[in-house]
Amino acid sequence: MSRLWGRGWKLALPILGVGLVAAMAAASTFAASATPIKVAVLSDCEGAFGAFDGQDLAGVVSAMSEYAGAKPVNPNDPRKGWTGGSIGGHPVKLVGIGCSNDRADTAIKETKRLMEQLGADVMIGPLSGDESIAVANYAKQHPTKTFVDGSAGAQDTTLKVQAPNFYRFNGDGAQWNAGLGDLAHNKLGWKTAAVVADDYSFAWTSAAGFIAEFCAVGGKVTKRVFPPLNTTDYSSYAQQMPTDVDGTFVAVGGAGLIPFLKAYEQAHGPIDGKKFIGNLFWGTPGQFEQLSARVAGAYAGGAGTAGDLATKEAQKYSKRVIGKWFKTIPPFGAAAPQASSTFTFGYFINTWGLIKGLQAVKGDISGGQKKLQKVLGKVSLQTGYGPIKLDKNRQGIIPVYYQQLYTKNGKLAVKTVGYIPNVDQTFGGTFSSKTPPPGRTFPPCVKRSLPWVGKTQHPKVIP
Amino acid sequence: MTTRSVVDRAIGGGALALAALAPLIFSDYWVGALLTQTLFLGIVASSLIFLSAYGGMVSLAQVALYGIAGFVLGNVVTNGNTKGLNLGWNPWLAVVLAIAVTVLVAVLFGLLASRSVGIYFLMITLTFGVIANLFFGQVTTFSGFGGISGIPAPHPIGPVDEHPNRLYYVALVMSVLVYALLRYVVRTPFGLTLQGVRDDPVRMASLGYNVVLHRTLAFAFAAVVAALAGVLFVWWNGHIDPASIDLSAMIDVLVIAVIGGLYRLEGAWLGAFVFVMLNNYSRQIDFVGPRFHTLIGLVFLAIVLVSPAGLAGIWERAQGALGLGGGAAPQPATAAEAPTRDADV
Repeated sequence: MSRLWGRGWKLALPILGVGLVAAMAAASTFAASATPIKVAVLSDCEGAFGAFDGQDLAGVVSAMSEYAGAKPVNPNDPRKGWTGGSIGGHPVKLVGIGCSNDRADTAIKETKRLMEQLGADVMIGPLSGDESIAVANYAKQHPTKTFVDGSAGAQDTTLKVQAPNFYRFNGDGAQWNAGLGDLAHNKLGWKTAAVVADDYSFAWTSAAGFIAEFCAVGGKVTKRVFPPLNTTDYSSYAQQMPTDVDGTFVAVGGAGLIPFLKAYEQAHGPIDGKKFIGNLFWGTPGQFEQLSARVAGAYAGGAGTAGDLATKEAQKYSKRVIGKWFKTIPPFGAAAPQASSTFTFGYFINTWGLIKGLQAVKGDISGGQKKLQKVLGKVSLQTGYGPIKLDKNRQGIIPVYYQQLYTKNGKLAVKTVGYIPNVDQTFGGTFSSKTPPPGRTFPPCVKRSLPWVGKTQHPKVIP
Repeated sequence: MTTRSVVDRAIGGGALALAALAPLIFSDYWVGALLTQTLFLGIVASSLIFLSAYGGMVSLAQVALYGIAGFVLGNVVTNGNTKGLNLGWNPWLAVVLAIAVTVLVAVLFGLLASRSVGIYFLMITLTFGVIANLFFGQVTTFSGFGGISGIPAPHPIGPVDEHPNRLYYVALVMSVLVYALLRYVVRTPFGLTLQGVRDDPVRMASLGYNVVLHRTLAFAFAAVVAALAGVLFVWWNGHIDPASIDLSAMIDVLVIAVIGGLYRLEGAWLGAFVFVMLNNYSRQIDFVGPRFHTLIGLVFLAIVLVSPAGLAGIWERAQGALGLGGGAAPQPATAAEAPTRDADV
């Protein structure tokens, strides 16, 4: 018996050894696969765009829920974040939501807190122009972390800073205004125009898109006025606006838009909608409703979005993605109608792009995230509003839509009237890394050829 | 040496030793972000406390001066940016220029402001702060709304993200030097005269002292200190924009000085530590979140009500209660009435 026992031991030991090694290997594999991917989000909860904080976070949480198996903590409060979710077996953990205020200084401080104190691996955000330039510069100094934009549209962020680990699936402010110059000159008959824009990087980029195209087709911009962002009394700027022009392009956004229009009315009388084109804020759900019927007839630049597009994909995104994960988005109410907001859509597609990149590497962010960063640049998205891919500066090449405001049952409504596919950041060769950044005097008003002029398509929309 | 001063020095020495060993004790984030920030905010607050405690001048322009140094540095050291002058200068030469420009501006500000006292001085310096903020916000040649990004710290201090301890130690050494310098200056004939000007400018003038000149020189000297903090700030942040020196930032430094104690130099770093910690950690509390300024306002109110001489005053009271020779904390400097205490003389 004892000899048998001795033989048993001899047999059992190697089995035990092999079992132990296998168990250790399995444990290490499990440990590796369980490494969480720590995600941070940077939004604006204060400042000119603080009202869109809910839309930003609804975009992020919806994408996480739709594509990474997460679930909103509260379907009426996107700021509560998400629970669950994993990519390649790695849990996707929300480590923090930064609260910025359109100032680059605050954005950097919040980014430091999210990345360095809370130890985030990747960050989604920020919301606005100069914040994104500062964050892209921060990204450049932190090559082992990965950053995707939120909804910021300053041109410099990708065209000039060119941080290899900063990705932007949304367009910039100029791209978003493709088609408006052609519309103003060749359809509305404007020969001269005035431009008023917030005095910061996004609005400069936004105005640059209109100016470049309007001048390209033969129009003249006779006056450019730049009130500082967060101005509350626009009366002196409204007084500077000329009335002897055929039309006015307005790139005053966020909390400043209504005060500017009121100041304009006080200075020059009622607004004639047909003589105005606004940038994306004139068509942003949550914002445009407040403009009231005073601007009916005006056109509005888009942000690569068209909420009324009569395609299955567009309606699915609105009702069965954003509307599925959220009932309401504060402070504006029902969630689905806010799906086409620049902010909801921007944060949604950037988060989705990040998820696709992470899925391609099976959630493996080891090795300084080099594998993730390599595949992210090749990610393309079939969004509800059309395809998006990235250029060599990791900037989205996007479909662009523009809208017209009209009254429906006595209330202001928006309908999409123009579509231009595949607009890239060079804006038909107008901008490059060598050209000066958009600013108070750039671009100059010069005639040139743009590939989409005269080719604007008119998409089918839901009435 | 009194028991009180022995205890004071022991605590000071202990704090310094702890600060010197901080990289061995605390996390990288604590050292690289929180403590470094505490040190440079302490330096700028110390310039305010110096003016207030020894010159009777509560200045709101210190943040503007620190910002001027930061903007000058950002403009001349960066290269290839889309904002600013992009001169690409030697970073050390840039530091000298930044401090020189700041002092020059401070002399101009000081000449204008030093003829006023009390609330008027406060308002004039507030105006200087607003002018600086609007200047950099509007003049896109030097900054514009977005400010200047990608400002590097010079070798061997930087890159800051790779070597956060180096900037921390630079800030620590600068803090010690600034503290020692301020303590020294207030004991010099100039410092004693300044305190005389603070206590009774009319009498000092009748004795033949040039009151305006002394105040202006003190303002310019405090600008050197503020400029040093500005340089450390941009090395740490890598970015500066008008929001870095806006009204909120001005109030922040005043709050730091008041929380720490407006009449003791040590209060500057004490107040900065409390401010930085509250600012950092309160943001993680859902209820507080973006309402940090409400929270710091409540702390400010509590400090002013409980101990008008700030946290340093609470310590002095505690010393008094423990029979270490301390007493009731004297009233801090106010805008309307200069402090009468000169404990360090």
